[in-house]
Amino acid sequence: MARMKFLCDAERCIECNACVTACKNEHEVQWGINRRRVVTINDGEPNEKSISVACMHCTDAPCAAVCPVDIFYTTEDGVVLHNKDACIGCGYCLFACPFGAPQFPQDGAFGERGKMDKCTFCGGGPEEDNSPAERAKYGRNRLAEGKLPLCAEMCSTKALLAGDANEVSDIFRERVVARGSNRGAWGQNLQFNPLGGTRR
Amino acid sequence: MIAISRGSAALAWLIRLAAIAMALSMLPSMAVAATDPAKPPGDPVANYWREVRQGVPGLSQVDGAESGVLINAAGQQWREQRNGPLKRYGAMILLAMLGIIVLFYLVRGPMRLSAPPTGRKIQRFTPFERFVHWGTAITFILMGLTGLAVLFGRSVLGPLIGSGGLGGLLGLGKLVHNYLGPVFLAFTILLILVFLRDNVWAKCDAQWIARAGGMFSSGDHIPSGRFNFGEKAWFWLGVTFLGLFVAGTGLLLDFPALIDRTRELMQNLVLLHAIGAVLLLAMSLGHIYMATLGVEGAMESMKTGEVDETWAKEHHELWYEETKAGRSSHM
Ligand code: SF4
Ligand code: SF4
Repeated sequence: MARMKFLCDAERCIECNACVTACKNEHEVQWGINRRRVVTINDGEPNEKSISVACMHCTDAPCAAVCPVDIFYTTEDGVVLHNKDACIGCGYCLFACPFGAPQFPQDGAFGERGKMDKCTFCGGGPEEDNSPAERAKYGRNRLAEGKLPLCAEMCSTKALLAGDANEVSDIFRERVVARGSNRGAWGQNLQFNPLGGTRR
Repeated sequence: MIAISRGSAALAWLIRLAAIAMALSMLPSMAVAATDPAKPPGDPVANYWREVRQGVPGLSQVDGAESGVLINAAGQQWREQRNGPLKRYGAMILLAMLGIIVLFYLVRGPMRLSAPPTGRKIQRFTPFERFVHWGTAITFILMGLTGLAVLFGRSVLGPLIGSGGLGGLLGLGKLVHNYLGPVFLAFTILLILVFLRDNVWAKCDAQWIARAGGMFSSGDHIPSGRFNFGEKAWFWLGVTFLGLFVAGTGLLLDFPALIDRTRELMQNLVLLHAIGAVLLLAMSLGHIYMATLGVEGAMESMKTGEVDETWAKEHHELWYEETKAGRSSHM
Protein backbone atom coordinates (compact mmCIF):
# COMPACT_ATOMS: atom_id res chain seq x y z
CA MET A 1 0.00 0.00 0.00
CA ALA A 2 1.32 3.37 -0.94
CA ARG A 3 1.76 6.14 1.57
CA MET A 4 1.29 9.33 -0.41
CA LYS A 5 3.40 12.39 0.35
CA PHE A 6 4.40 15.68 -1.17
CA LEU A 7 7.91 16.99 -0.97
CA CYS A 8 9.17 20.31 -2.25
CA ASP A 9 12.84 20.79 -3.03
CA ALA A 10 13.57 24.43 -2.28
CA GLU A 11 16.93 24.12 -4.07
CA ARG A 12 14.98 23.62 -7.26
CA CYS A 13 11.76 25.60 -6.97
CA ILE A 14 11.94 28.66 -9.19
CA GLU A 15 8.65 30.20 -8.13
CA CYS A 16 7.03 29.86 -11.54
CA ASN A 17 3.65 29.18 -9.91
CA ALA A 18 2.83 26.63 -12.59
CA CYS A 19 1.75 24.12 -9.93
CA VAL A 20 -0.72 26.69 -8.60
CA THR A 21 -2.13 27.30 -12.03
CA ALA A 22 -2.20 23.66 -13.10
CA CYS A 23 -4.09 22.69 -9.95
CA LYS A 24 -6.59 25.46 -10.37
CA ASN A 25 -7.20 24.49 -13.97
CA GLU A 26 -7.26 20.72 -13.49
CA HIS A 27 -9.90 20.89 -10.77
CA GLU A 28 -11.71 23.98 -11.98
CA VAL A 29 -11.38 25.34 -8.47
CA GLN A 30 -13.87 28.00 -7.41
CA TRP A 31 -13.24 31.66 -8.00
CA GLY A 32 -10.92 33.20 -5.44
CA ILE A 33 -9.50 29.91 -4.24
CA ASN A 34 -6.11 28.36 -4.79
CA ARG A 35 -5.44 24.96 -3.32
CA ARG A 36 -1.71 25.38 -3.69
CA ARG A 37 0.53 28.40 -3.26
CA VAL A 38 4.20 29.21 -3.64
CA VAL A 39 5.86 31.16 -0.86
CA THR A 40 9.16 32.91 -1.37
CA ILE A 41 11.29 33.70 1.64
CA ASN A 42 13.98 36.40 1.51
CA ASP A 43 12.65 37.57 -1.82
CA GLY A 44 15.35 39.33 -3.84
CA GLU A 45 18.14 38.48 -1.43
CA PRO A 46 21.02 36.10 -2.01
CA ASN A 47 19.48 33.32 0.07
CA GLU A 48 16.08 33.49 -1.57
CA LYS A 49 14.14 30.23 -1.40
CA SER A 50 10.74 29.26 -2.72
CA ILE A 51 8.48 26.49 -1.52
CA SER A 52 5.28 25.22 -3.01
CA VAL A 53 2.78 24.31 -0.33
CA ALA A 54 -0.69 22.78 -0.15
CA CYS A 55 -2.31 20.29 2.17
CA MET A 56 0.47 17.97 3.35
CA HIS A 57 -1.95 15.15 4.19
CA CYS A 58 -0.86 14.94 7.80
CA THR A 59 -0.81 11.59 9.56
CA ASP A 60 -2.45 12.89 12.73
CA ALA A 61 -4.34 15.63 10.92
CA PRO A 62 -5.21 18.64 13.12
CA CYS A 63 -8.02 19.65 10.75
CA ALA A 64 -9.73 16.31 11.30
CA ALA A 65 -9.29 16.55 15.05
CA VAL A 66 -11.04 19.90 15.44
CA CYS A 67 -13.77 19.62 12.82
CA PRO A 68 -17.06 19.82 14.78
CA VAL A 69 -18.86 17.69 12.20
CA ASP A 70 -16.10 15.13 11.74
CA ILE A 71 -16.01 15.22 7.95
CA PHE A 72 -12.40 14.21 7.33
CA TYR A 73 -11.18 10.75 6.48
CA THR A 74 -7.83 9.31 5.49
CA THR A 75 -7.73 6.99 2.51
CA GLU A 76 -5.72 3.78 2.36
CA ASP A 77 -3.05 5.78 0.59
CA GLY A 78 -2.75 8.23 3.45
CA VAL A 79 -4.57 11.03 1.63
CA VAL A 80 -6.70 13.29 3.84
CA LEU A 81 -10.06 13.91 2.15
CA HIS A 82 -13.25 15.57 3.32
CA ASN A 83 -16.98 15.43 2.74
CA LYS A 84 -18.09 18.86 1.61
CA ASP A 85 -21.79 18.08 1.98
CA ALA A 86 -21.60 18.14 5.77
CA CYS A 87 -19.13 21.04 6.09
CA ILE A 88 -20.62 23.99 7.96
CA GLY A 89 -17.87 26.46 7.09
CA CYS A 90 -16.80 27.17 10.65
CA GLY A 91 -13.15 27.62 9.70
CA TYR A 92 -11.77 25.57 12.59
CA CYS A 93 -9.76 23.36 10.23
CA LEU A 94 -7.99 26.46 8.95
CA PHE A 95 -7.23 27.65 12.48
CA ALA A 96 -5.66 24.28 13.30
CA CYS A 97 -3.91 23.41 10.02
CA PRO A 98 -0.14 23.93 10.20
CA PHE A 99 0.07 24.92 6.53
CA GLY A 100 -2.94 27.14 5.92
CA ALA A 101 -4.32 24.59 3.48
CA PRO A 102 -8.11 24.86 3.96
CA GLN A 103 -9.65 27.55 1.77
CA PHE A 104 -13.10 29.08 1.85
CA PRO A 105 -15.30 30.65 -0.80
CA GLN A 106 -17.25 33.62 0.43
CA ASP A 107 -20.89 32.85 0.77
CA GLY A 108 -24.08 34.66 1.70
CA ALA A 109 -24.89 38.24 2.47
CA PHE A 110 -22.21 38.78 5.09
CA GLY A 111 -19.38 37.08 3.27
CA GLU A 112 -19.50 34.06 5.52
CA ARG A 113 -17.36 31.05 4.86
CA GLY A 114 -18.77 28.59 2.38
CA LYS A 115 -17.81 24.95 2.25
CA MET A 116 -14.15 24.25 2.79
CA ASP A 117 -11.97 23.44 -0.21
CA LYS A 118 -8.47 22.06 -0.12
CA CYS A 119 -5.95 19.95 -1.99
CA THR A 120 -7.18 16.37 -2.41
CA PHE A 121 -3.88 14.98 -3.66
CA CYS A 122 -5.89 14.74 -6.89
CA GLY A 123 -7.95 12.12 -5.04
CA GLY A 124 -11.48 13.51 -5.25
CA GLY A 125 -13.96 12.99 -2.44
CA PRO A 126 -16.42 10.50 -0.99
CA GLU A 127 -18.57 10.29 -4.12
CA GLU A 128 -18.08 7.65 -6.78
CA ASP A 129 -14.75 8.08 -8.58
CA ASN A 130 -14.92 10.74 -11.27
CA SER A 131 -18.69 10.97 -11.11
CA PRO A 132 -20.08 14.37 -12.09
CA ALA A 133 -20.87 15.07 -8.42
CA GLU A 134 -17.32 14.33 -7.34
CA ARG A 135 -15.96 16.33 -10.24
CA ALA A 136 -18.06 19.36 -9.36
CA LYS A 137 -17.15 19.39 -5.67
CA TYR A 138 -13.57 18.19 -5.56
CA GLY A 139 -12.24 18.30 -9.10
CA ARG A 140 -10.66 15.48 -11.00
CA ASN A 141 -9.79 12.19 -9.34
CA ARG A 142 -6.44 11.41 -10.95
CA LEU A 143 -5.51 8.81 -8.36
CA ALA A 144 -8.50 6.74 -9.47
CA GLU A 145 -7.13 6.97 -13.00
CA GLY A 146 -3.76 5.71 -11.85
CA LYS A 147 -2.14 9.13 -12.14
CA LEU A 148 -0.30 11.23 -9.61
CA PRO A 149 -1.07 14.86 -8.67
CA LEU A 150 -0.76 17.16 -11.64
CA CYS A 151 1.17 19.88 -9.81
CA ALA A 152 4.11 17.55 -9.30
CA GLU A 153 3.70 15.78 -12.64
CA MET A 154 4.15 18.98 -14.59
CA CYS A 155 6.69 20.74 -12.36
CA SER A 156 9.37 21.85 -14.82
CA THR A 157 12.29 21.61 -12.41
CA LYS A 158 10.90 18.60 -10.58
CA ALA A 159 11.14 20.54 -7.37
CA LEU A 160 7.73 19.31 -6.32
CA LEU A 161 7.54 15.57 -5.84
CA ALA A 162 4.39 13.62 -5.12
CA GLY A 163 3.84 9.93 -4.73
CA ASP A 164 4.63 6.99 -2.57
CA ALA A 165 6.73 8.05 0.38
CA ASN A 166 9.50 5.56 -0.25
CA GLU A 167 9.91 6.49 -3.87
CA VAL A 168 9.88 10.21 -3.15
CA SER A 169 12.43 9.61 -0.47
CA ASP A 170 14.67 7.60 -2.84
CA ILE A 171 14.59 10.32 -5.47
CA PHE A 172 15.48 12.90 -2.92
CA ARG A 173 18.29 10.81 -1.52
CA GLU A 174 19.82 10.56 -4.98
CA ARG A 175 19.75 14.33 -5.23
CA VAL A 176 21.50 14.74 -1.93
CA VAL A 177 24.23 12.42 -3.14
CA ALA A 178 24.49 14.19 -6.48
CA ARG A 179 24.87 17.52 -4.77
CA GLY A 180 28.06 16.08 -3.38
CA SER A 181 27.48 16.70 0.23
CA ASN A 182 28.21 14.01 2.75
CA ARG A 183 26.61 16.20 5.30
CA GLY A 184 23.45 15.98 3.30
CA ALA A 185 23.34 12.25 3.50
CA TRP A 186 23.50 12.42 7.22
CA GLY A 187 20.26 12.11 9.02
CA GLN A 188 18.32 10.90 6.07
CA ASN A 189 18.02 7.50 7.65
CA LEU A 190 18.89 8.31 11.23
CA GLN A 191 17.53 11.57 12.37
CA PHE A 192 14.81 12.37 9.99
CA ASN A 193 11.78 10.42 9.15
CA PRO A 194 10.91 12.72 6.35
CA LEU A 195 7.87 11.10 4.97
CA GLY A 196 5.85 10.20 7.98
CA GLY A 197 4.52 6.99 9.35
CA THR A 198 6.42 3.85 9.93
CA ARG A 199 10.18 4.24 10.01
CA ARG A 200 11.99 6.01 12.77
CA MET B 1 -2.81 13.14 31.31
CA ILE B 2 -2.69 10.58 28.57
CA ALA B 3 -4.33 13.01 26.23
CA ILE B 4 -1.81 15.67 27.11
CA SER B 5 1.24 13.54 26.54
CA ARG B 6 -0.23 12.17 23.34
CA GLY B 7 -0.91 15.73 22.30
CA SER B 8 2.60 16.94 22.85
CA ALA B 9 4.01 13.89 21.12
CA ALA B 10 1.80 14.75 18.20
CA LEU B 11 3.01 18.34 18.35
CA ALA B 12 6.62 17.30 18.31
CA TRP B 13 5.88 14.98 15.45
CA LEU B 14 4.09 17.64 13.54
CA ILE B 15 6.84 20.16 13.88
CA ARG B 16 9.19 17.53 12.66
CA LEU B 17 6.97 16.73 9.73
CA ALA B 18 6.72 20.37 8.85
CA ALA B 19 10.41 20.87 9.19
CA ILE B 20 11.13 17.92 7.05
CA ALA B 21 8.56 18.28 4.35
CA MET B 22 9.66 21.79 3.62
CA ALA B 23 13.25 22.01 4.60
CA LEU B 24 14.58 18.65 3.68
CA SER B 25 15.78 20.20 0.49
CA MET B 26 18.15 22.34 2.49
CA LEU B 27 19.52 19.31 4.20
CA PRO B 28 23.18 19.83 3.20
CA SER B 29 23.40 23.02 5.17
CA MET B 30 20.63 22.15 7.59
CA ALA B 31 22.52 19.18 8.91
CA VAL B 32 24.92 21.32 10.89
CA ALA B 33 22.12 23.34 12.36
CA ALA B 34 20.26 20.22 13.26
CA THR B 35 23.16 18.60 15.08
CA ASP B 36 24.13 21.78 16.83
CA PRO B 37 21.22 23.90 17.87
CA ALA B 38 23.58 26.32 19.57
CA LYS B 39 25.29 27.10 16.30
CA PRO B 40 26.24 30.76 16.19
CA PRO B 41 23.70 32.94 14.44
CA GLY B 42 24.47 33.86 10.91
CA ASP B 43 23.85 30.69 8.99
CA PRO B 44 21.29 32.09 6.58
CA VAL B 45 19.54 28.83 5.94
CA ALA B 46 19.17 28.01 9.62
CA ASN B 47 17.91 31.50 10.33
CA TYR B 48 15.51 31.28 7.47
CA TRP B 49 14.15 28.01 8.65
CA ARG B 50 13.70 29.30 12.19
CA GLU B 51 11.72 32.22 10.82
CA VAL B 52 9.50 29.99 8.75
CA ARG B 53 8.72 27.89 11.78
CA GLN B 54 7.86 30.95 13.82
CA GLY B 55 5.43 32.06 11.16
CA VAL B 56 7.36 35.01 9.72
CA PRO B 57 5.69 35.62 6.38
CA GLY B 58 7.34 35.42 2.99
CA LEU B 59 5.93 36.53 -0.29
CA SER B 60 3.23 34.71 -2.23
CA GLN B 61 1.61 35.53 -5.53
CA VAL B 62 -1.54 33.90 -4.24
CA ASP B 63 -3.79 36.47 -2.64
CA GLY B 64 -5.38 35.75 0.67
CA ALA B 65 -5.10 36.28 4.38
CA GLU B 66 -1.69 35.11 5.55
CA SER B 67 -0.92 33.36 2.28
CA GLY B 68 2.76 34.20 2.78
CA VAL B 69 2.90 32.38 6.09
CA LEU B 70 4.22 28.85 5.60
CA ILE B 71 3.70 27.53 9.11
CA ASN B 72 0.76 28.35 11.34
CA ALA B 73 2.79 27.92 14.48
CA ALA B 74 -0.12 28.09 16.93
CA GLY B 75 -2.45 25.70 15.11
CA GLN B 76 -1.46 22.50 16.87
CA GLN B 77 -1.47 24.25 20.24
CA TRP B 78 -4.97 25.54 19.57
CA ARG B 79 -6.11 22.07 18.64
CA GLU B 80 -4.76 20.68 21.90
CA GLN B 81 -6.30 23.44 23.99
CA ARG B 82 -9.68 23.17 22.35
CA ASN B 83 -9.92 19.39 22.20
CA GLY B 84 -8.23 19.00 25.58
CA PRO B 85 -8.76 21.34 28.53
CA LEU B 86 -11.55 23.40 26.98
CA LYS B 87 -13.77 20.41 26.30
CA ARG B 88 -12.72 18.51 29.42
CA TYR B 89 -13.07 21.29 31.97
CA GLY B 90 -16.03 22.80 30.13
CA ALA B 91 -17.95 19.55 30.47
CA MET B 92 -16.83 19.14 34.07
CA ILE B 93 -17.98 22.62 35.09
CA LEU B 94 -21.39 22.21 33.49
CA LEU B 95 -21.96 18.73 34.88
CA ALA B 96 -20.74 19.77 38.33
CA MET B 97 -23.18 22.68 38.35
CA LEU B 98 -26.02 20.38 37.34
CA GLY B 99 -25.01 17.95 40.07
CA ILE B 100 -24.94 20.66 42.73
CA ILE B 101 -28.38 21.83 41.72
CA VAL B 102 -29.86 18.35 41.78
CA LEU B 103 -28.28 17.75 45.18
CA PHE B 104 -29.55 21.08 46.48
CA TYR B 105 -33.01 20.28 45.24
CA LEU B 106 -33.00 16.86 46.92
CA VAL B 107 -31.67 18.17 50.21
CA ARG B 108 -33.31 21.55 50.50
CA GLY B 109 -36.25 21.24 48.16
CA PRO B 110 -38.15 24.22 46.83
CA MET B 111 -38.54 27.29 49.01
CA ARG B 112 -42.21 27.56 49.79
CA LEU B 113 -44.16 30.44 51.22
CA SER B 114 -44.55 30.22 54.99
CA ALA B 115 -47.75 32.24 55.16
CA PRO B 116 -50.78 31.50 53.02
CA PRO B 117 -51.19 33.64 49.91
CA THR B 118 -53.43 36.63 50.39
CA GLY B 119 -54.93 36.50 46.93
CA ARG B 120 -54.05 40.15 46.47
CA LYS B 121 -51.65 40.68 43.56
CA ILE B 122 -49.14 43.41 43.01
CA GLN B 123 -47.25 44.08 39.81
CA ARG B 124 -43.63 43.02 39.82
CA PHE B 125 -42.64 43.34 36.17
CA THR B 126 -44.03 45.60 33.47
CA PRO B 127 -44.90 44.08 30.07
CA PHE B 128 -41.84 45.74 28.57
CA GLU B 129 -39.58 44.28 31.24
CA ARG B 130 -41.02 40.87 30.60
CA PHE B 131 -40.58 41.26 26.86
CA VAL B 132 -36.92 42.16 27.33
CA HIS B 133 -36.39 39.33 29.78
CA TRP B 134 -37.98 36.66 27.59
CA GLY B 135 -36.29 37.98 24.48
CA THR B 136 -32.95 37.60 26.22
CA ALA B 137 -33.90 34.24 27.70
CA ILE B 138 -35.08 32.66 24.47
CA THR B 139 -32.15 33.88 22.40
CA PHE B 140 -29.81 32.83 25.20
CA ILE B 141 -31.17 29.29 25.28
CA LEU B 142 -30.92 28.96 21.52
CA MET B 143 -27.38 30.37 21.55
CA GLY B 144 -26.44 28.05 24.39
CA LEU B 145 -27.79 24.90 22.76
CA THR B 146 -26.26 25.61 19.36
CA GLY B 147 -22.97 26.63 20.93
CA LEU B 148 -22.84 23.48 23.04
CA ALA B 149 -23.54 21.49 19.89
CA VAL B 150 -20.49 22.99 18.18
CA LEU B 151 -18.23 22.16 21.12
CA PHE B 152 -19.65 18.83 22.29
CA GLY B 153 -21.91 17.68 19.43
CA ARG B 154 -19.24 15.56 17.78
CA SER B 155 -18.44 13.70 20.99
CA VAL B 156 -21.98 13.37 22.30
CA LEU B 157 -24.18 13.13 19.21
CA GLY B 158 -21.58 12.01 16.67
CA PRO B 159 -21.77 8.31 17.56
CA LEU B 160 -25.57 8.46 17.28
CA ILE B 161 -26.23 10.51 14.18
CA GLY B 162 -22.92 10.33 12.33
CA SER B 163 -21.11 13.01 10.41
CA GLY B 164 -23.96 13.56 7.98
CA GLY B 165 -26.43 14.12 10.82
CA LEU B 166 -24.02 16.44 12.55
CA GLY B 167 -23.64 18.36 9.31
CA GLY B 168 -27.39 18.89 9.01
CA LEU B 169 -27.83 19.80 12.64
CA LEU B 170 -24.82 22.06 12.96
CA GLY B 171 -25.36 23.59 9.54
CA LEU B 172 -28.67 24.90 10.85
CA GLY B 173 -27.18 25.49 14.29
CA LYS B 174 -24.42 27.65 12.88
CA LEU B 175 -26.93 29.81 11.01
CA VAL B 176 -29.03 30.25 14.14
CA HIS B 177 -25.97 30.94 16.28
CA ASN B 178 -24.43 33.44 13.88
CA TYR B 179 -27.57 35.37 13.06
CA LEU B 180 -29.11 35.33 16.51
CA GLY B 181 -25.87 36.45 18.16
CA PRO B 182 -26.34 40.16 17.46
CA VAL B 183 -30.00 39.89 18.55
CA PHE B 184 -28.88 38.36 21.83
CA LEU B 185 -26.40 41.19 22.28
CA ALA B 186 -29.13 43.77 21.67
CA PHE B 187 -31.45 42.10 24.19
CA THR B 188 -28.66 41.83 26.73
CA ILE B 189 -27.93 45.53 26.49
CA LEU B 190 -31.62 46.34 26.87
CA LEU B 191 -31.89 44.01 29.84
CA ILE B 192 -28.96 45.68 31.54
CA LEU B 193 -30.45 49.13 30.98
CA VAL B 194 -33.90 48.09 32.17
CA PHE B 195 -32.79 46.48 35.42
CA LEU B 196 -29.67 48.50 36.18
CA ARG B 197 -31.13 50.83 38.82
CA ASP B 198 -32.55 47.95 40.85
CA ASN B 199 -29.24 46.16 40.97
CA VAL B 200 -27.07 48.64 42.82
CA TRP B 201 -25.65 47.77 46.20
CA ALA B 202 -28.00 48.22 49.14
CA LYS B 203 -27.37 47.93 52.86
CA CYS B 204 -29.57 44.88 53.20
CA ASP B 205 -27.28 43.00 50.81
CA ALA B 206 -24.66 42.59 53.53
CA GLN B 207 -27.21 40.80 55.67
CA TRP B 208 -28.20 38.62 52.73
CA ILE B 209 -24.58 37.60 52.23
CA ALA B 210 -24.06 36.92 55.93
CA ARG B 211 -27.02 34.54 55.98
CA ALA B 212 -26.37 33.06 52.53
CA GLY B 213 -29.68 34.35 51.31
CA GLY B 214 -31.57 32.05 53.66
CA MET B 215 -30.95 29.28 51.17
CA PHE B 216 -30.05 26.78 53.86
CA SER B 217 -32.66 27.69 56.46
CA SER B 218 -36.33 27.50 55.69
CA GLY B 219 -38.55 30.23 56.95
CA ASP B 220 -35.63 32.64 57.18
CA HIS B 221 -36.80 35.78 55.43
CA ILE B 222 -34.12 38.27 54.70
CA PRO B 223 -35.46 41.65 53.72
CA SER B 224 -34.29 42.83 50.34
CA GLY B 225 -35.20 45.39 47.75
CA ARG B 226 -36.61 44.62 44.34
CA PHE B 227 -33.75 42.21 43.77
CA ASN B 228 -31.79 40.35 46.40
CA PHE B 229 -28.05 39.99 46.40
CA GLY B 230 -28.15 36.64 44.61
CA GLU B 231 -30.05 38.20 41.77
CA LYS B 232 -27.69 41.15 41.74
CA ALA B 233 -24.69 38.83 41.50
CA TRP B 234 -26.29 37.13 38.51
CA PHE B 235 -27.04 40.53 37.01
CA TRP B 236 -23.47 41.83 37.29
CA LEU B 237 -21.36 38.71 36.88
CA GLY B 238 -23.60 36.76 34.59
CA VAL B 239 -25.73 39.06 32.46
CA THR B 240 -23.50 42.10 32.37
CA PHE B 241 -19.93 40.86 32.51
CA LEU B 242 -20.13 37.39 30.98
CA GLY B 243 -23.08 38.22 28.75
CA LEU B 244 -21.38 41.21 27.15
CA PHE B 245 -18.07 39.38 26.99
CA VAL B 246 -19.47 36.33 25.24
CA ALA B 247 -21.68 38.37 22.91
CA GLY B 248 -18.82 40.75 22.12
CA THR B 249 -16.29 38.05 21.29
CA GLY B 250 -19.02 36.31 19.31
CA LEU B 251 -19.68 39.42 17.27
CA LEU B 252 -15.99 39.60 16.32
CA LEU B 253 -16.10 35.94 15.28
CA ASP B 254 -19.28 36.47 13.36
CA PHE B 255 -18.03 38.30 10.30
CA PRO B 256 -14.67 36.85 9.33
CA ALA B 257 -14.69 38.43 5.90
CA LEU B 258 -15.28 42.03 6.91
CA ILE B 259 -12.02 42.64 8.71
CA ASP B 260 -8.75 40.95 7.95
CA ARG B 261 -8.35 38.79 11.00
CA THR B 262 -5.41 36.54 11.54
CA ARG B 263 -5.80 32.93 12.48
CA GLU B 264 -4.14 33.62 15.78
CA LEU B 265 -6.77 36.19 16.69
CA MET B 266 -9.56 33.84 15.66
CA GLN B 267 -8.03 31.01 17.69
CA ASN B 268 -7.89 33.15 20.79
CA LEU B 269 -11.38 34.51 20.24
CA VAL B 270 -12.82 31.02 19.90
CA LEU B 271 -11.19 29.95 23.17
CA LEU B 272 -12.21 33.07 25.10
CA HIS B 273 -15.73 32.95 23.70
CA ALA B 274 -16.11 29.32 24.73
CA ILE B 275 -14.67 29.79 28.22
CA GLY B 276 -16.97 32.73 28.86
CA ALA B 277 -19.94 30.83 27.45
CA VAL B 278 -19.34 27.80 29.65
CA LEU B 279 -19.17 29.98 32.78
CA LEU B 280 -22.26 31.91 31.72
CA LEU B 281 -24.19 28.71 31.04
CA ALA B 282 -23.16 27.30 34.41
CA MET B 283 -24.36 30.44 36.18
CA SER B 284 -27.55 30.50 34.15
CA LEU B 285 -28.40 27.00 35.42
CA GLY B 286 -28.52 28.45 38.92
CA HIS B 287 -30.76 31.29 37.81
CA ILE B 288 -33.06 28.97 35.87
CA TYR B 289 -33.32 26.58 38.81
CA MET B 290 -34.22 29.37 41.23
CA ALA B 291 -36.83 30.72 38.85
CA THR B 292 -38.52 27.42 38.09
CA LEU B 293 -38.17 24.69 40.73
CA GLY B 294 -36.22 26.49 43.43
CA VAL B 295 -38.57 29.22 44.58
CA GLU B 296 -42.31 28.76 44.64
CA GLY B 297 -44.04 31.57 42.81
CA ALA B 298 -40.93 33.00 41.15
CA MET B 299 -41.81 31.80 37.69
CA GLU B 300 -45.28 33.30 37.95
CA SER B 301 -43.84 36.77 38.39
CA MET B 302 -42.08 36.67 35.05
CA LYS B 303 -44.98 34.88 33.37
CA THR B 304 -47.80 37.17 34.46
CA GLY B 305 -45.87 40.13 35.80
CA GLU B 306 -47.70 39.86 39.13
CA VAL B 307 -46.96 38.28 42.48
CA ASP B 308 -49.00 37.60 45.55
CA GLU B 309 -48.49 40.04 48.41
CA THR B 310 -47.31 37.24 50.67
CA TRP B 311 -44.64 36.31 48.14
CA ALA B 312 -43.56 39.91 47.87
CA LYS B 313 -43.36 40.29 51.64
CA GLU B 314 -41.42 37.11 52.18
CA HIS B 315 -38.92 37.47 49.37
CA HIS B 316 -38.55 41.19 48.79
CA GLU B 317 -39.83 42.90 51.89
CA LEU B 318 -38.31 46.32 51.33
CA TRP B 319 -39.54 46.40 47.77
CA TYR B 320 -42.99 45.35 49.00
CA GLU B 321 -43.12 48.15 51.53
CA GLU B 322 -41.98 50.71 49.01
CA THR B 323 -44.55 49.52 46.54
CA LYS B 324 -47.28 49.58 49.11
CA ALA B 325 -46.30 53.07 50.17
CA GLY B 326 -46.48 54.08 46.52
CA ARG B 327 -42.83 54.95 46.45
CA SER B 328 -41.81 52.35 43.93
CA SER B 329 -40.97 53.73 40.54
CA HIS B 330 -42.08 50.56 38.84
CA MET B 331 -45.81 50.79 39.09
S1 SF4 C 1 -5.64 20.42 5.76
FE1 SF4 C 1 -3.86 20.98 6.95
S2 SF4 C 1 -4.09 19.84 8.87
FE2 SF4 C 1 -5.45 18.89 7.37
S3 SF4 C 1 -4.25 17.21 6.50
FE3 SF4 C 1 -3.99 19.01 5.15
S4 SF4 C 1 -2.14 20.01 5.92
FE4 SF4 C 1 -2.81 18.58 7.52
S1 SF4 D 1 -14.97 24.47 8.00
FE1 SF4 D 1 -15.94 22.50 7.45
S2 SF4 D 1 -14.24 21.06 7.32
FE2 SF4 D 1 -13.46 22.85 8.39
S3 SF4 D 1 -13.72 22.35 10.57
FE3 SF4 D 1 -15.56 23.49 9.94
S4 SF4 D 1 -17.06 21.94 9.33
FE4 SF4 D 1 -15.04 20.91 9.42
